[in-house]
Amino acid sequence: MSAAPALQLERVSKRFGGLKAVSDVSFTVPERCIFGLIGPNGAGKTTVFNLVTGVYDFEGSIRFYGKSLGGKKASEIARIGVARTFQNIRLFQSMTVMENVLIACENTRKAHLGAALLRSPLFFRDEAEMHKEAMKLLAIFKLDAMADEVSTSLSYGNQRRLEIARAMMLKPKLLLLDEPAAGMNYGEAEGLKEQIRWLRDEFKITVILVEHNMQVVMGVCEDIHVLDHGETIAHGPPAEIKKHPKVLAAYLGEEDEAAAVAEVGA
Amino acid sequence: MNAWQRRVGATLLLGLACIVLELTFHHIVPDTAYRNMLQLALVNVVIALSLNVINGMAGQFSIGHAGFVGVGAYTAAIVASNIHKSLGERTETFANSFYVMPPAILAAALVAALFGFVVGLPSLRLKGDYLAIVTLGFSEIFRLVIMTSPPGVEKEGIRATIAELGGPQGYSGPDRYGVAQYAGPFWLFGGVIVATIIAWRLKFCGWGRALRALREDEIAASAVGVDPTRYKVTSFVIAAMGAGAAGALWACMRDGNPSVQPDQFSFALSFDAITMVILGGSGSVSGAIFGGLFVTLTVKMIEQLQRLDAIEAFKLAHPDFDLNALRMVIYAVVLMVLMVMRPAGLFGESEITRFRKREPAKP
Repeated sequence: MSAAPALQLERVSKRFGGLKAVSDVSFTVPERCIFGLIGPNGAGKTTVFNLVTGVYDFEGSIRFYGKSLGGKKASEIARIGVARTFQNIRLFQSMTVMENVLIACENTRKAHLGAALLRSPLFFRDEAEMHKEAMKLLAIFKLDAMADEVSTSLSYGNQRRLEIARAMMLKPKLLLLDEPAAGMNYGEAEGLKEQIRWLRDEFKITVILVEHNMQVVMGVCEDIHVLDHGETIAHGPPAEIKKHPKVLAAYLGEEDEAAAVAEVGA
Repeated sequence: MNAWQRRVGATLLLGLACIVLELTFHHIVPDTAYRNMLQLALVNVVIALSLNVINGMAGQFSIGHAGFVGVGAYTAAIVASNIHKSLGERTETFANSFYVMPPAILAAALVAALFGFVVGLPSLRLKGDYLAIVTLGFSEIFRLVIMTSPPGVEKEGIRATIAELGGPQGYSGPDRYGVAQYAGPFWLFGGVIVATIIAWRLKFCGWGRALRALREDEIAASAVGVDPTRYKVTSFVIAAMGAGAAGALWACMRDGNPSVQPDQFSFALSFDAITMVILGGSGSVSGAIFGGLFVTLTVKMIEQLQRLDAIEAFKLAHPDFDLNALRMVIYAVVLMVLMVMRPAGLFGESEITRFRKREPAKP
């Protein structure tokens, strides 16, 4: 274990034209933590994810195990161990389940283009190894039976699981989940809590969660950071966040505090 | 038989087939015009296969492929003609072609690859129409620079060097005896076979898979470690190499035009190449082969049909009827019918070998 925290943001800002989507946000995510990033719509949660994964550049500093992520390309950041899922599932739609997962090990393959063109023994060995590894992972996520099906033919829940499986194929140290509970009912959300804990323990990773479903956030997160209009309004363990007046205000407006208590405290 | 023995066997067999074709092709197709047409079709297949890497597999849109073909053609013409001169023989023998063609093709591919790299760089920031304009710009600049540098005007400097390429009259060897024509059926059929194998292997390996992912969703692909820069530029370089090799085959084609002219590489060639790829099905290797053959043969076939007696008689009877214009009309109608009936091209993205495997019906 290294001493540096898994992820550390220091005074991170992002402007889109005149709009400050994220301003001066700082937080630290310890290793093996399940960390929640919440806030009302348009608070800048997904933007923070996009900054960490290199979709946009930013001001300030983001460090991953002490290494600065500033100026790095999205593909580089993925390679050093930051994986993510997307708010609206982004699978490679025309590809099979297996192919979707294989893309994620493209950068770790030993056989390069030359070997592929010559179809050398290295190429075949590499391909077989990748398939075996991908199959093992698919089995863990109970998707192995559908390996050869086109990804769009999967049910919504399976598509979400496939997206996580694809992210895990990168062998990440940090996993960013963008609204994994979207569209889930009460029972499914309960199951998701278990799955997130299990992911963290099984793969020994750190998880950051952007989520609107308070049942999931309060149930699984160990530490929560709240954003509103791009600014930090609260930080702390779930019990504290539940009662934080600013959080309640941000979620439902000041006059309706009682209803807000009901919503956040659910 | 293990895999290696099978491979050596297949290589020998295909090589032998190419040699047999080399020796018998002028007996199988005695008419020079038809032979020329078939050979041109083979060159076009290689052009279509290479363009398919950019326009089909990588999902970029290049309309300047003629430029890469031209770069290859000029390079190969210079290399082949000079080696021919140094060999000191008058006729192009099959044995000597083994000294001439490999360096000519290699040089053509490498020089074209260099241009492909330079043209590929803007593809990182530009998409769709904008990238198309860059590629078109490249191919037109290449053609016009040669066009507007006639020999004998400037005595020194870079323009004099470019004028060595012959200007609008074209390049025809160091002593103007014509470009050495070493690319017989062996090299043309061989070229098609090698290009097909390379295109197939590119498509069906991790690299092709990553390109496909990039084409479908660039953000998701980079989020799982696929570097768009590397893949896009490599696809341009590979496509340019293929086009350069095709240019080499074209420049040195036996019974072909003994000079390489800038107007051969105008927008019309790029346009034909795009037609071949789209007609066959973007991203399909079988489709590119079919498209290359179909487009060349249809255009030429209609040309040949005009030599029929009935048509000649018709022409004499109706001198004001422009049959030449009708040719393009027929071609256009054929294209339109095909595109209406199969908008994704004849093969879509699939291959000829995958037709048997049907998707299971959905409940």
